[in-house]
Amino acid sequence: MTTLRPSRVAGLGPMLIVALIAAALYWPLMLAANVGPAGRTLASGAELNCRTALACASQLRNPVVPAPAQLAQGFVRLSTPVTSPLALPYNVGVTAGETLLGLLLATVTGIGLALLLVASRAFERATLPWLVASQTVPVVAIAPMLAVLLGQYGVQGFLPKAIIAAYIAFFPVAVGMSRGLRSADPLHLDLMRTYHASPAQTYRLLRFPASLPHLFTALKVAVTSALVGSIVAEISTISFSGLGKMLAENSRASDTVALWVIMAYGALLGVTLVALVNALERWVTPWTRR
Amino acid sequence: MDQTMTPARTLAARPGAALLTAAALLVGVGGLLLAALTLPAPGEGTPPDARAWLAGILALLAVGAVGVRGAAQGESRAARTLPAAFTLILAVLGTEALLRAYAVPAGLIPTPGRVLSALWTARSVLLQDTYTTFVLEALLGFLAGTVLGLALALLVVRFRFLERGLLPYAALFSSIPIVALAPVIVKAVGLDWPSKTVVVAVTVLFPVVVGAVRGLQSASRLHLDLMHTYAATPVQTFRDVRVPGALPFVFGALKVASTLALISAIVAEFFGTNGHGLGFRIQIEVGRFGLDIVWAAIVLASIAGIAFFALVSSAEARLLPRRS
Repeated sequence: MTTLRPSRVAGLGPMLIVALIAAALYWPLMLAANVGPAGRTLASGAELNCRTALACASQLRNPVVPAPAQLAQGFVRLSTPVTSPLALPYNVGVTAGETLLGLLLATVTGIGLALLLVASRAFERATLPWLVASQTVPVVAIAPMLAVLLGQYGVQGFLPKAIIAAYIAFFPVAVGMSRGLRSADPLHLDLMRTYHASPAQTYRLLRFPASLPHLFTALKVAVTSALVGSIVAEISTISFSGLGKMLAENSRASDTVALWVIMAYGALLGVTLVALVNALERWVTPWTRR
Repeated sequence: MDQTMTPARTLAARPGAALLTAAALLVGVGGLLLAALTLPAPGEGTPPDARAWLAGILALLAVGAVGVRGAAQGESRAARTLPAAFTLILAVLGTEALLRAYAVPAGLIPTPGRVLSALWTARSVLLQDTYTTFVLEALLGFLAGTVLGLALALLVVRFRFLERGLLPYAALFSSIPIVALAPVIVKAVGLDWPSKTVVVAVTVLFPVVVGAVRGLQSASRLHLDLMHTYAATPVQTFRDVRVPGALPFVFGALKVASTLALISAIVAEFFGTNGHGLGFRIQIEVGRFGLDIVWAAIVLASIAGIAFFALVSSAEARLLPRRS
């Protein structure tokens, strides 16, 4: 991602202009999207305190695209009181916790698998094709089933969602890490051999540090898929908190404005989590910075 | 790793070892097959003594694993492909035998045999679902997203302003969880399949744009200068230098997008359908504890996913010039 932005400051101007254009286009687009449903609602004789379809477009109860005022109201309604377990900040926190726990599990599993893959060619040949195939499989399809299964064995609370998140996220970590472990400079490896270093020493001093950039690239991919995993897990298990539960509830209640607000929070969470991994990367591997 | 270096350790050099490997595999697969067949299926008869069965099945699995390990030695084509096939057979047979030995109720985990029979009995419904999810939603959405993404990428490369103003947003948007996007679009477009197609197109869009732009800009300065000295027209430069250079990046993105497409189609179906699609089927059958149908749907989804990925990969192999 960083290669796309030659310089942070120089890129901000055009980004700001595009954002302004998008903001300016929002109102007419919203009207255009809502006029049809508004006209139909008017024709059906529903109670609306407006005359024309155009005037009603910004006041629909279930708008296709909510008006700015509706969005702002939705934000306030869903975000306050801030500490309430029914409000979004708390639920975003729950989902973030599940995602991070899932990412941790995925990292541990992924690194373990990577070590096996690098250590044993037989293991690699016997399992790697299936690991690759498991990624072309829509893994989210397994989530509802896994949720039922884990529930039957008494695994409840944070853990089943974290496990499902980890299940979706472990693969990029395993592949990235095994590529990273193999990326050590052959010259350095030879040097370690001439020093008569033990395999453990080679791993600790050479292979692990060399693998870190690969690991973090993989973690950035993994964290977004872990987020998807935990939200899907919340939708398909009986859960009482989290973004997924709020999505499922408001989707059932057809509260469109709430869905938009939740989407915005989800986007914010996704971007924040990636930024978090970025910050961790900069802290752990300062030498990769130019 | 050193095994590659020393030919003395490969199978070809030691025919005795190959024979031993084959024997180990045969014992493992055959024993598991026998165990899976002779054990009573859950629900029929009394559950046998689980501990003895566990020991036996684990021993057979170990024997099979030794065989797989042996088969993976060497550099031949068979050594590269057979172990994976054997792992699948061992895994499926081992699962079947273990589930039967422990008499796990089918409402919890159905045995692979039951899943296969569910796949057969419910085939017409499941194939209809697969058609809706795979062809109408994933494939159409994928095509729409790809075309739109490539067009956008061309614009971004052509206009420097868009590159600086729009591309960062594309990168940003790709970290948004698709699940949060799906209900909004489904509510806006409707319950029928087009809403899911739109979700797929939106999720495919961002990786394609980012990949294509990175690819189009990857042309080396040297080649571009060379085209300039040849007095090539911009169209020629684009066709002969930029596009070939971009193809590997585009196909990398398309491969990622192909798996994303099916996933987002299934997730979008969780938020409402008119009664068709694999995601809908999975959701509703989990609720009714019809887990053999769920697994059958997952098997079909997997096959569709693998086929999709293979389709994109074969297109890549055909269109990309071989690297010399």
